[in-house]
Amino acid sequence: MNTVVHTANLHKHFGHVKALDGLDLDVQRGEIHGFLGPNGAGKSTTLRILLGLARPTSGSAAVLGFEPWSQAVELHRRLAYVPGDVRLWPNLSGGETIDLLSRLRGGTADGAAYRRRKESLCQEFDFDPAKKGRAYSKGNRQKVALIAALATEAEVYLLDEPTSGLDPLMEEVFRRELLAAVGRGATVLLSSHILSEVEVLCHRVSIIRAGRIVDGGTLDSLRHLTRSEVSFAADGLDAQALARLGAVHDLTLDAGRVRFSADSDRIAEVFPALGALGVQGLTIVPPSLEELFLRHYGDASAAPEPEADAPSGGHGSRRHLLSARGRS
Amino acid sequence: MHPPVDMVPGGTCSVPGDGADMGVLLVLWGQRLRRDRWQLVSWVVAIGAFALFAAAAVTQTYGNAAARTEILQVAIATPAILMLRGLPRGADQGAFTFFLIYAFLALLAGLMSTFLAVRHTRADEETGGAELVAATPAGRLLPNAATLLHGVAANILVALAVFAGFAAQGLDPQGSLTAGAATGAVGLVFLGVGLLVAQFMGTSRGANGVSAALVVLAYLLRGIGDATGTPGADGTTMTEGPASWFSPIGWGQQTYAYSGNRAWPLLLPLGLAVVCLTAAWLILRHRDTGDSVWGARPGRAAARPGLRSPVALALRLQSGSIIGWALSGMALGLLAGSLGKAVAALDTPGTGITAVMRAMLQAQGISLTQLMVSVIFSMAGVLAAACALQAVIRLRQEEAAGTAELLLAVPVGRVRWLAGYLLLGAAAVVLVIGLAGVGAWAALAGSGDASMPADALWETALAQVPAALIYLAVPALVFVLWPTATIAASWALLALGVVLGIFGGMLGLDQNLRNLSPFTHTPVPQGDATDWSGAWGMLAVAAVTAALAVAAMRRREVGSA
Repeated sequence: MNTVVHTANLHKHFGHVKALDGLDLDVQRGEIHGFLGPNGAGKSTTLRILLGLARPTSGSAAVLGFEPWSQAVELHRRLAYVPGDVRLWPNLSGGETIDLLSRLRGGTADGAAYRRRKESLCQEFDFDPAKKGRAYSKGNRQKVALIAALATEAEVYLLDEPTSGLDPLMEEVFRRELLAAVGRGATVLLSSHILSEVEVLCHRVSIIRAGRIVDGGTLDSLRHLTRSEVSFAADGLDAQALARLGAVHDLTLDAGRVRFSADSDRIAEVFPALGALGVQGLTIVPPSLEELFLRHYGDASAAPEPEADAPSGGHGSRRHLLSARGRS
Repeated sequence: MHPPVDMVPGGTCSVPGDGADMGVLLVLWGQRLRRDRWQLVSWVVAIGAFALFAAAAVTQTYGNAAARTEILQVAIATPAILMLRGLPRGADQGAFTFFLIYAFLALLAGLMSTFLAVRHTRADEETGGAELVAATPAGRLLPNAATLLHGVAANILVALAVFAGFAAQGLDPQGSLTAGAATGAVGLVFLGVGLLVAQFMGTSRGANGVSAALVVLAYLLRGIGDATGTPGADGTTMTEGPASWFSPIGWGQQTYAYSGNRAWPLLLPLGLAVVCLTAAWLILRHRDTGDSVWGARPGRAAARPGLRSPVALALRLQSGSIIGWALSGMALGLLAGSLGKAVAALDTPGTGITAVMRAMLQAQGISLTQLMVSVIFSMAGVLAAACALQAVIRLRQEEAAGTAELLLAVPVGRVRWLAGYLLLGAAAVVLVIGLAGVGAWAALAGSGDASMPADALWETALAQVPAALIYLAVPALVFVLWPTATIAASWALLALGVVLGIFGGMLGLDQNLRNLSPFTHTPVPQGDATDWSGAWGMLAVAAVTAALAVAAMRRREVGSA
């Protein structure tokens, strides 16, 4: 059984609002799966269903072969969860909360090993466990949930924007710990809207919009749909010379620099022309997930776009898609 | 590094007065009115209605002076009645009504005021709302001035409501005005107390607890003063004992509304209010927003070994409030038991009043002590019910705050979570009532009062349990089926149950209406003749309701917000 998380045609309606509208999501064993989408796209609702905290209106969801709503307790023995906005008991210290959650998960059978693990995590995350829950800042509350999730091993980690409120140093610690967990064979579903985090960590991503998966695959496969940004010093090059660059997009000359974008999988085709021009100060910025995101943020249609196979047509459609919102 | 206090620019400490500040103050006051609109209306209407119904009941039940004289003579001979009611100042209808109800009205005004003060100060600082407002030109201090204005206005409304309630029943207008002012003045004191306590306590829960306890303390001090007062020559008046002079509610009573209409005792509550407000203001000027005089203590770096189950967590979260309720129950028990001796001392042939009562009690086959104990234990039953419904309210608060999600994401099922709180609530009910029993037993034994056998005492205690359990099961069902209504519905049901079941007789309500309250069905032990059917019936209702709640919980989503 290599599919750890599987949902099929998952619907969740709140009155007339369709928070999930036929969501199909598959996460394979051993991968860090990025779950990307803007606020309100249905990421947290999906995770709450996968945890068995919410019941699907229709469709099916399975985690480790368990049906989350009816088998939540069995499932939770093998799972760890980090909410996006951690709320703590105001009169329990962070250390007490971590201990309680770890004990309830049954991960403290070896008391000495658990204490060592907890202490080293507190140290790595630079976290003071002796303060009361009400006294922690947002980042420190987040650390409580992260340490509780990482202090005992789990097969599946469901992480809902886990680094919100953490500073970059702590994000780095989090990445290291997460990679270590995956090294042990764990599976991670990481919901995020922080693209750099997903780019660094994830093997595959699914992009959710308006309650449906609108795109997905490996990062490389998604980059086929994007463009790299190229720029170099203008240094006496005129429009005539630039015309020799051929089929590039959005060519501009501004503040002494020439900029254009090129389809990522055809970037090599412009190198001969650049060489012939003898350009100076060349930079090529690889496509970021921002671009992927932009495509889907503004995309009125949840269905795969017809131009997905023809990247050269992509740009015009993006502008159109950004202006036409909310048909669903 | 904190800057020295005198470096804080004085110009930012806005004082209401100039035009712009006045506008901001009105906006802040408007926001408070808007937030409290239902709450404030409920308090004012409830207090006014309480005054109105009490005055109406007096007209109906004790319409003539002879009946009132007789009751007052019984009351003066019975410290428990004085403790709960007030200070007899003659058989005039207005004075009699004031004796019966004023202390309750003042208690309500005090609680309304402390909750109002904490809600708009410490609670706002805790949730961060105060910080948002303080970052606007309103600053740190003006919002507190708006809270003061709001609280003063609320207490003026309370005073008018009490005046209107009494005057509408044809009581003397000047006396009614005095009674209203005495109620509002107590409210003002506790507005100041609430604002001051909010400076000391770091949490709204703590500030509410401490200031409400001070209100109850004022009520009890007045009660002790009244119970230890000196009877007058005519048998219908008393002069208060010294303890009353340490209680703002006692000061209100000293106005002798209807019988003396003295205004000068109200200078005492007004003076104390000014002292509290000044102290609060001085602390406020010098402390950081969100900070408190008694700061947060550090916690443990690791949990105690026992903290390893949902029930253990529930106990940890609620132990403070359960201990508070249990100690209150014990105090009531001690009171009930120690009154036995005082009553027994009076229960000698020759005093006409007690002879009448003794004949009445003998007909029922119970002693005077037993009557006292069963009356006071019905209060312990209410305490236990309040403790029970707080357990369910805590469930809802855990859900709304999002902490329930942490627990339900580890191997803890929804049903186990709910059942843990219900078990804890039931145990707390037994504890509160059990400690009331222990207190009464100890006091009876200590005073050598043998007129109440131990088994009768424990029967009386046991009889209070079923009604309290109803207040565990019914709120639990509300929590499962209609979560957002849990808090309001639970307290409303308790208030309704107390009014119908405990004050129903005094208010002259219809028996069918009174039968709606669980407290009406609490058995009154009378030896072998005790009718326990009400207890069994309520146990059955509680069990079925709790089972329904647990069953429905299987299908209930747990959300936040």
